[in-house]
Amino acid sequence: MLPSGIFFRSHAAELRYFRTVPQRIAIVLLLLVIAALPALGNDYLTGILTTAAITIIAVAGLQITTGMAGLLNLGQSAFVGVGAFTAASLYTNYGVPVPICLVMAGLMAGSVSILFSLPAMRIKGLYLALTTIAAQVMLPIVVLRLPSSWFGGSAGIGIDDVRIFGGSLSSPSSMYYLTMIVMALMLALAFNLGRSRTGRAFRAMRDNDIASSVMGVNLALHKVLAFFAGAMFAGVAGGLYAFYIRYVTIDQFTLWLSVWYVGMLIVGGLGSPLGAILGTLAITALQELVRAGGNLALGSMPQASGGVIFAATNVLLGAAIIFVLIVEPLGLTRRWNVLKSAYRIWPYPRA
Amino acid sequence: MNFIQVLIDGLLTGLVYGLVALAFVVIFRASRIVNLAQGQLVLVGAFIVMSLLQWLPALAAVAIGLPLAVLAGLAVEKAVFRPLIGQPVFSVVMASIGLLILLQGLVQMVWGAQTRPFPELFPEGAFRIDELLINKKLLFGGVITLTLVEVLQWLFMRTRVGLRLAAVAEDHMIALSLGVSVRRATQVAWALGVLLSTIAALVLMSGNVLSLQASEIGLRALPVALLGGLESLRGAALAGVIVGVGEAIASRYLDPYSAGAASQLFPYLVMILVLLIRPQGLFGWKTIERL
Repeated sequence: MLPSGIFFRSHAAELRYFRTVPQRIAIVLLLLVIAALPALGNDYLTGILTTAAITIIAVAGLQITTGMAGLLNLGQSAFVGVGAFTAASLYTNYGVPVPICLVMAGLMAGSVSILFSLPAMRIKGLYLALTTIAAQVMLPIVVLRLPSSWFGGSAGIGIDDVRIFGGSLSSPSSMYYLTMIVMALMLALAFNLGRSRTGRAFRAMRDNDIASSVMGVNLALHKVLAFFAGAMFAGVAGGLYAFYIRYVTIDQFTLWLSVWYVGMLIVGGLGSPLGAILGTLAITALQELVRAGGNLALGSMPQASGGVIFAATNVLLGAAIIFVLIVEPLGLTRRWNVLKSAYRIWPYPRA
Repeated sequence: MNFIQVLIDGLLTGLVYGLVALAFVVIFRASRIVNLAQGQLVLVGAFIVMSLLQWLPALAAVAIGLPLAVLAGLAVEKAVFRPLIGQPVFSVVMASIGLLILLQGLVQMVWGAQTRPFPELFPEGAFRIDELLINKKLLFGGVITLTLVEVLQWLFMRTRVGLRLAAVAEDHMIALSLGVSVRRATQVAWALGVLLSTIAALVLMSGNVLSLQASEIGLRALPVALLGGLESLRGAALAGVIVGVGEAIASRYLDPYSAGAASQLFPYLVMILVLLIRPQGLFGWKTIERL
């Protein structure tokens, strides 16, 4: 919703990504802030933001599958894993350039997801969630049995030094910039998908599958497409993760991580890719707060701290998910929109 | 002889899977809640009873632990699922994911992540018939499973309470408009569900090592519940046996050639096949919406 008094003289103007001058100023400022952050010289912060950006890509993919198309996916981290193994294997074994590795990681994860979305031809909703759990459980079993020259088996794949366009990606800030550029591209894709014919078909399918099929949406095709798109995002996130951590092993892609992704999306709001951004940032901030608070509280007994902090974060995340579902089912996105409209009609109260 | 031994082992293990699946089915059957936190319920039940066992004799610990489990179930219902009555199924499943994360974290915070031995509640060892060995603990577990299946079958099919639950499982809105209390049904569902999960925990854990990984049994039970049909109590037990026997055969005859992968993959391959061929499972209601 635009504030009153703003109008467009052409359809093209209305379809622009950033329609008003303040919006354009805001996005430029945001990009400047993102670009300037590594200059603070705080490598810890840069690292956290890099991880958060990678997670945002994966959760944005989940938003397409789960939020836009309404297909619960509990195997997102398996698809992240497929992407990570693909990218790492291509880079170390065949010397494929990093950008092509990332594209291949996305395509590979997408292709694997088709296998698990085939039951979608026959079933819907929650039952599909169970096949994605199957994907999650089968990934480690399969990777461990494949020849270790492919994906390193149980030892995993280590990447020595990542080079892109002649430069090295070993410094935190260079990896940060690569991740941010890829994240911006992927988010543009995600927002654009929501505006497209396919995105509208996804939403129609989510809201009422029978009505949408009457209106000409090919349900089986669009379910497979939704999985493909979501897993492709996961694959790209996995590729970035592989180049960031530079060590890929099967233990990094657990069902637990998939469940966390879903949790982040619920907290952020399922309705828009903005939910993926807000949810991931909120949960990352929560995690860092718990870590900081835990370190303060447990400073005297460091041997217990790691597990307890992880457990406390889980308790808070679980409680946050349930709280959001009960109190604000549309998540932080709705809060953000409320805030935005309050700003627009200020000084008048409430729209 | 060897083959029959494999069958017996598979059958008895399968009945334990069936017991966990039964808890899942009861919650679904009574309230239409797909409870993805099933494994965590087993975990909570196991830890409650284990804490009691530290100061009480076995029988007393179980006698106090089971009512406590019922209370825990009612608390979960009140805090999480009652406010969501009338919300889309999707939100309820999401809430069960929240519950999953919450309970796993809570157990780790309260009891810690270390592994510990769980006392023997059932006799260890095995009965011997000729060359065949029948594991005593699993045999007791199997008998418990079958008894519970029949008791619950009677409850759901022959009593007024059970039929009300079935109405709620069909459709919340219609049940409400006919004067059936959805709130009461979800209460019964969670009381029974956590109770059954705790019993399953006793059978599973007796004489074993208890750790946070025990919750993974929930993931094994999902394919079982799906194979049997999400509404079918007897189906859960039968599907447990099918998965158990299939797993045992795969593990005996295929694992040597696949480095142990066959038996782990088996339940999930069965699940995907079932979903493709017969989405409602063997004995589920045919109301599953399909394309």
